[in-house]
Amino acid sequence: MDPVAEHQLLLTRRHFFHRSGASLGLAALASLVSRDAQAASGLPGLPHFTPRAKRVIYLFQHGAPSQLDLFDYKPGLQKVKGQDLPDSVRMGQRLTGMTAYQANYPTAPSVFQFSQHGQSGMWISELLPHTGRVADELCLVKSLHTDAINHDPAVTFLQTGAQLAGRPSIGAWISYGLGSESQDLPAFVVMVSQGGGASQALADRQWGSGFLPTRFQGVQFRSGADPVLYLSDPEGYDSAARRRFLDDLARLNELKLQDYQDPEISTRIAQYEMAFRMQRSVPELTDLSKEPESTFELYGPDSRKPGSYAANCILARRLAERGVRFIQLFHRGWDQHGNLPREIRGQCLQTDQASAALVQDLKQRGLLDQTLVVWGGEFGRTVYCQGTMTETNYGRDHHPRCFAVWMAGGGLKGGLTWGETDDFSYNIIRHPMDVHDLHATILHCLGVDHTRLTFKYQGRHHRLTDVHGHVVEGLLAKDQVSR
Amino acid sequence: MRAAGVALWIAWPALAAAQTTVEFNRDVRPILSDKCFLCHGPDAAAKRVPRRLDSEAAAKADRAGIRAVVDGRPDQSELIRRITSADAAYRMPPASSGFQLTAAEIQTLRHWIAQGARWQPHWAFLPPKRPALPKVKNTSWPRNPIDALVLNRLEREGLRPSPGAGRETLLRRVSLDLTGLPPTPAEIDAFLEDRSPHAYEKVVDRLLASPRYGERMAARWLDAARYADTNGYQYDGERVMWRWRDWVIEAFNRNQPFDRFTLDQIAGDLLPRATLEQKMATGFSRNHRGNTEDGIVPEEYRVEYAVDRLETAFTVFQGLTLGCARCHNHKYDPFSQKEFYQVYAYFNNVPELGRAMKYGNSPPLVAAPTREQQRQLDQLNGRIRILDEQVDETVPAGFAPPPGSFWAPASELDRAFLFESPGEAKARGGEPSYVAGRAGQAASLDGKTYLEADGAAAFDIDERFTLAAWVNPEAALDGAVLTRMTEGPRGKGFGVYLNRGKVHVHITSSYDDDAIRLDTEETLEAGRWRHLGVTYTGSRLADGIQVYLDGRAVKVKVEIDTLYRPFRNAGRVFREPFRIGGGAGPQRRFRGLVDEVRIWARVLADDEMAALAAPLETLAGKPERRRILRWYYLDHAAPDSTREAWRSLTALHREREKLERSFPTVMVMTDMEPPRPTHVLQRGLYNKPGEKVEPGVPAALGSLPPGAPNNRLGLAQWLIHSANPLLGRVTVNRFWQMYFGAGLVRTVEDFGLQGDWPSHPELLDWLATEFVRSGWDVKGLQKLIVTSATYRQSSRATPELLQRDPENRLLARGPRFRLPAEMVRDQALLAAGLLKEKLGGPSVKPYQPEGLWKDLIMQDMYYVQSKGDDLYRRGLYTFWKRTVAPPMMANFDAANREVCVVRQSRTNTPLQALNLMNDLTFVEAARFVGQRMIREGGPDPASRLRHGFRLVAGRAPAPRELDYLHGNLQYHLGYFTAGDRAKAYLRHGDSPADPGLEPRELAAYAAVASLLLNLDETVSKE
Repeated sequence: MDPVAEHQLLLTRRHFFHRSGASLGLAALASLVSRDAQAASGLPGLPHFTPRAKRVIYLFQHGAPSQLDLFDYKPGLQKVKGQDLPDSVRMGQRLTGMTAYQANYPTAPSVFQFSQHGQSGMWISELLPHTGRVADELCLVKSLHTDAINHDPAVTFLQTGAQLAGRPSIGAWISYGLGSESQDLPAFVVMVSQGGGASQALADRQWGSGFLPTRFQGVQFRSGADPVLYLSDPEGYDSAARRRFLDDLARLNELKLQDYQDPEISTRIAQYEMAFRMQRSVPELTDLSKEPESTFELYGPDSRKPGSYAANCILARRLAERGVRFIQLFHRGWDQHGNLPREIRGQCLQTDQASAALVQDLKQRGLLDQTLVVWGGEFGRTVYCQGTMTETNYGRDHHPRCFAVWMAGGGLKGGLTWGETDDFSYNIIRHPMDVHDLHATILHCLGVDHTRLTFKYQGRHHRLTDVHGHVVEGLLAKDQVSR
Repeated sequence: MRAAGVALWIAWPALAAAQTTVEFNRDVRPILSDKCFLCHGPDAAAKRVPRRLDSEAAAKADRAGIRAVVDGRPDQSELIRRITSADAAYRMPPASSGFQLTAAEIQTLRHWIAQGARWQPHWAFLPPKRPALPKVKNTSWPRNPIDALVLNRLEREGLRPSPGAGRETLLRRVSLDLTGLPPTPAEIDAFLEDRSPHAYEKVVDRLLASPRYGERMAARWLDAARYADTNGYQYDGERVMWRWRDWVIEAFNRNQPFDRFTLDQIAGDLLPRATLEQKMATGFSRNHRGNTEDGIVPEEYRVEYAVDRLETAFTVFQGLTLGCARCHNHKYDPFSQKEFYQVYAYFNNVPELGRAMKYGNSPPLVAAPTREQQRQLDQLNGRIRILDEQVDETVPAGFAPPPGSFWAPASELDRAFLFESPGEAKARGGEPSYVAGRAGQAASLDGKTYLEADGAAAFDIDERFTLAAWVNPEAALDGAVLTRMTEGPRGKGFGVYLNRGKVHVHITSSYDDDAIRLDTEETLEAGRWRHLGVTYTGSRLADGIQVYLDGRAVKVKVEIDTLYRPFRNAGRVFREPFRIGGGAGPQRRFRGLVDEVRIWARVLADDEMAALAAPLETLAGKPERRRILRWYYLDHAAPDSTREAWRSLTALHREREKLERSFPTVMVMTDMEPPRPTHVLQRGLYNKPGEKVEPGVPAALGSLPPGAPNNRLGLAQWLIHSANPLLGRVTVNRFWQMYFGAGLVRTVEDFGLQGDWPSHPELLDWLATEFVRSGWDVKGLQKLIVTSATYRQSSRATPELLQRDPENRLLARGPRFRLPAEMVRDQALLAAGLLKEKLGGPSVKPYQPEGLWKDLIMQDMYYVQSKGDDLYRRGLYTFWKRTVAPPMMANFDAANREVCVVRQSRTNTPLQALNLMNDLTFVEAARFVGQRMIREGGPDPASRLRHGFRLVAGRAPAPRELDYLHGNLQYHLGYFTAGDRAKAYLRHGDSPADPGLEPRELAAYAAVASLLLNLDETVSKE
C-alpha cells in the first residue's frame, strides 16, 4: 500500500473523530482517537490469512554463536583434528580479511560434549543444558546461510533483508503491516544486553524504520530510571501535575483544532495521552518486583540483574502478555575469534537458562502457540581454527555458509531438526534455507504473505524479502493456527 | 490498487466524475508503469517477456495479428482483452505478480485507447517549457505568476483560495521557513507597526540577508548529502567533514548560483586552478559511509562507495533512481545496466581503498584551514617574511666553517643520539662498543646488542616525523636500524630496516593487511657509510613516505599500502620504546656502525636532508650550498642581533608548523591518472566484472555538452547545461517541498516513470525556467515563493476543503505541518534566550541521556557532553553518530544520514510527546522561558503569560487561551508550594536558575512555559 492510501486511511479515521469531536467531551475524544489511531490496526487486508502466531520474540545472539560448539554435532572431526581443511570442502569460498592470509586452516573439533535430548533425540551441546530440556519445543534449523561475511552487513541483512543500511527492519515491517495489539505500549520493542565477551558494535538502525514512517521503528527499552528515553517526568514534577498539564495542553490544542481543523492536532492530543499511559504502563511493565520467586528461579540468577539478558527475557514475556507485536532482544558478545572454549561458556551461562525458561514460561501460560520465538545470530563460525590452535583452545572466524538457529512456538513443529551440513559443518547438504526464507517463514507464521507486504519507495514496491524468499513449509506444524 | 484510485481522485476529481480527455503522461503511464513495466518494461528481456509496453512502437506493433494497443479500438486491443478477461490464466496482470488493476484504472486505459491512444514521451525527460500565464477570473488575488498558475487550477476545480494569513502567523511562518527560527517579540512588534505596503518584502529581504538563512538551507542539504560526523558501519569512528558543512552554509549565504553550487560539489577539484573552496565542495561525494571492519573484502566496499556517490548525485540533482539499474536494466526507466556503469565510471576513479581509516578522514583529503586559521597563517607568513628580510645577512665572503662541520636543523627535534656521551639510550643484549664514526664516535652493534630509549619517536600513524642516521653495515646487510615496534617478527609499529641490502620502511598495525611496506630500489654495500633519512607526512599512505640516501630522495617500490588502524587502536596505549639496531626480534638485529641518529616531529625539507648528509665543505658547487651555509652561519657565526632574529624566525616556523598541523581536513574527490578501468558488474557484484565500459551519460538523457571532457567535470557540465531537463525542475520541487510540506511532484526523489505526476505541471515548469532565467538565483527563488499569495494564505481548513483536498495538493490554503527536528529544538532555545549563535565549527555534543552510545559501541568512543555555549548551538551542529543518531533528531523524523534522503517524512508519536515534556534540553529551556516571563513580562500574570506566549508561539494569545494558561499557572503556583518540589524542578540543566527569583513562582512559570513548548502550534509551522 502506498503512502497516499495509508494517509487516506488515517484521515478517514481522524475525520470521524474530528466530526464527532465537537460534540464529545475531551476525554472521550482522546480515548476514541487513541483506541483507534494508536493501537493502529495495521494495513487493511492484513493478516492475509489466518495467522499461526500473533507476535514474535526474536532473541538475537549478536556476534554470531558457533554452530559447531552448540548445535551442529560433528563427531567425525576428531579424526581429522588439526589437519588442514580440505580444499574440496572450502571450494575457494571467500574468507574474511582476518584469516585470508593464514598459512593453514587446521580443523578444530569442538571440545564440548554433545548428547541427545527430548523425544526427538535432538543433538545439543553440553553448553546448553537448559535448552536441551525444551528440545521438544524447538524447531532447530542447521541449514541457514547468509551472503555476508562481516558483522555489520550480516546483522543488517538479518534485520532488514539487505546488507546495506537503508531498509526497514523486520520489526518495523511487521508493525507497519499488522499494527499493535497494545493500547499503551509500542508495537515494536527492543532491548540490548551486554555479554561482556567479544562484543561487536550494534547500531540503532538495526531496529530502524528505513523508508517507512519513523513511527514504525523499534522503541528501545533500557534498564535504569528511564526504560524509554524521556519517559520519566523531571524531578520535582509528579504524575498529578503531569495529568493537569496534559488536560490544559489538550484544552489549548482543542481550541487550535476547532480553529484550524487540522487532523494532525487531534492525533497529537491522542499521542500525548498515549505518552501518559506509557508513563504508567512501562514502569509497571519493567518493574519485576512483583514477579514471584518462581520466576527468577526459572530464568536463573542473572534474571535479578536489571538489564541482563535473563531479566530482558522476563520482560519479553511480560511484553508478549501485553500484546506487543515484535519484541527483539540483542545479546552482545558472541564474536569468538579467539579463546572460544572459555568465552562461549560465559555467553551460554548468560543466555541458556533464560532462553529455555522463556519458552517454558510462555508454554505454561498458554502463550507459546501464539508467540514465535526465534533464537540465532548473524552467521556461523568456521570449522578451521583462527589463530593458534592448542589441545584446549581455538578460535573461529566468520562463516556465512551455514549456521544454526532455533525457533519455537508460533505454529512451528517442535522437536524438529531441519537441514544438514557436510562433515565439516562447512557446506549445506540438505534443505538450505537463506535469510529471505527465514523472513518469509516468520511473516507466514504471522499470517502475512511476504510477497504482498509492500511499500512503494523510489518507484519500487519494496518488500522485506526483496524479490526472494520462500516459506519453508517443512517447518510448519500441520493445521495449527493460533487461537 | 485502491491506492492509485484514491490518488487519482485526489488529483483529478473531475476524471472520476465526468469523461474528460485522458492524458497519457498524467493518467495512463502511471498505470502501465506501476502495474505492467516490471515485466513489460525496459528489462523485459530478463523476464523473457515478448511484449514491451514502454514504447509506443512495441505496444502497437502487429505480432501474428495481435496488437496490444489499437488506436481508437479498445475492443481490438489485446491489452484491454487481457486486463478484462474473466479467465484467470489469461488475465493480466497475473495473480502471481501481486498486482491488480482497479475498475477505474481499466476504465482509464479503455478511454485512452478509445480516444486514439495518443502516446507521449515521459514528461520529465523533455525540457521544461515556460507556459503562457493563464487568464484567471479573480485577477486581484495573484501577486506573481505562481499565483496565476495555482489559481487557474483552483478555478477549474471550483475552489477559492483562502484569505491571507494573519500578520503574526505569516511572520512566524516566513521566519521559520527562511531562517529556521521564529521571530522575537521585537521583530513581531516592528512588523505589526510597519503598515507600509512593502513591510512584508522588507522582512523577507531581512531574513534572506541573515546568516541564519544559510544554516537553515544547509540543514536540508546535509540530509540529502548524508552528512555525518562518523563513518557508519560497524566501528563507526569519527570523521571530520564539518569544513564541508560550513562551505555549504557559506554557499547559501553568499547566494552562490545553483549551477555553480552543483558544479563545485560534483567536480570542483577538476576545475582549472581549483581553489581550496572548490576542492572542499567535492566533499559532497565523500560523505558516504566508510567501512573499517577487520574482515571485509575492501573491494566490495570500494564499489559501494562509488555506487553511493552515483545514487546520491542522481537523486539530488536529477531526481532519478538510476541506482536501480545496478544489477539489471532499470525496470521502469529507460536506463540499461550498462549505462549505469557508464555513469558509475565517473565516480569510480578516486584513489581510495575500500577499507576506510578507522579513526579520522580517509584519503584523498585536503587540509582546510578555517577562515580564522587562514588569517593566523597569513599573519604568520607576513611576520616570517619581515624577519626573513631582517636576517637576510649574506654570509661574509671567505666564511668557512671548520672542516667536517655539519649543519642539522634544531627546530622540532624530538631526540638525538650522537654517541659522544653515555646515557642517551639504554644498552640491551650486551654493551655496544663506540668507535670513530662519521662525526665523532659511532655505536658499533654486533647483531645481538641494541640501544633503547623510552618516549622517543612516540608518533602514531597520523603524525609527521623524520628519522635520520648514518649507517655503515657489515656484510649481513640486514636488520633493524631505527624502529619503534614490538620486539618480534611481524610486529606492530614502524621502522627502518636493511632488507638484503635495500632500505626497507614499514608502518604496521597488523602485518597482513594493515600496513605500509616499501623498499628502495638501490642496494647498500657493506663497509661503506651512507646517510639514511626517512620522512613521513602522517598521510597513512605509502605516498607520504620519502626515503633519502646521502641526502637525495630515492625511488622506492611499494609492497603494500593498506594501513587503516592507528597503534592506539581500541583505546590501547602503544608503549614501545624507540630502538637503534633492534626491534623485530633477535633474528633481525643490526650488525655494523650507526652514528648521528636524529628524530624530528616534522617533515624535513630536501635541503635539510642534504645538509645532514654532507660536511659543509663538500657542498661546493651544489645548488643547496648557499642556503645550508647560511643556516650554519646564522646558527653559529652571525652577529648577536642577527642570531636573535634568526632564533625568532625559527620559532615562527615552528609556530607555523604547529598551526598547519591543527588544520582540519576534508575528504575530497580527486581522479586517478590513468583512470581505473570500469566494468559492468554482473548482478551488481564487486567480484563479477563483465564487459568493460567507458564513461558516459544515459542515452535517454542526452549527451555531454559539446567540448565537455568525458570525466566528472563533463558530467557536472552536463548536469547544469540548459539542455538538461531535470536539474531545474528537481531543485525547485525540493524547495517547494520545504515550504508546502510536499513537492509539486510528491516523489521528490523520483522523476522517473514511477514518480508522481506533478500536481501543477505548468507551475513546475514555470518555476524551473524562471530559476534558470534568473541565473540560478537561489535567494531569488525563495523570495518568489514566499512572496506569492499562494504562500501567504491562511492555513485554516474548512471541513469542505478537508474533505475535498485533505493533503492540500491544490493549494487552496496555506501550509501547516510539524517543524523539522532541528527547528523544534532551535526554537525552544531561542525563546529561552539560551541559543548560542555561531556560524560553523566542529560539531557539538548537547545533552543526551547517559549511556546511549555505550550500549551499542565496541570500544573507545564515548559521548563526552559539551560544556557551556556548545550545549546551546543550533541543531545542525549536533554531532551525528550514524549508528546512534541523536535521539531527539531521530524522534522527530530527521533523515538518517546513512544514505541520501530528500523526501521529508513526518510522524506524530508518543515518543515526541515524551521528548518535548522531559528531555533536559526542553526542561531547561522551559525554565528560561519562565524566567523571561517574570523578568521581561511586566508585573502581572496576564502580561507575563502573554509575553511567554509571544516568545514561544510568535503571537498574542486569545482570551480563552490566556484563561487556560492562567488556570494552569494557578495550579502550578499551588503545586510548587509543597516541599522541595520547586527546588528540585529548578535544578535541571547546566545553566543555573536565576537566584533572584522566588523558586515557587519561577517553577510555576517554568511549568507553564513547558506547556507552551508542547503546544501543537509551537511545534508546527502554521
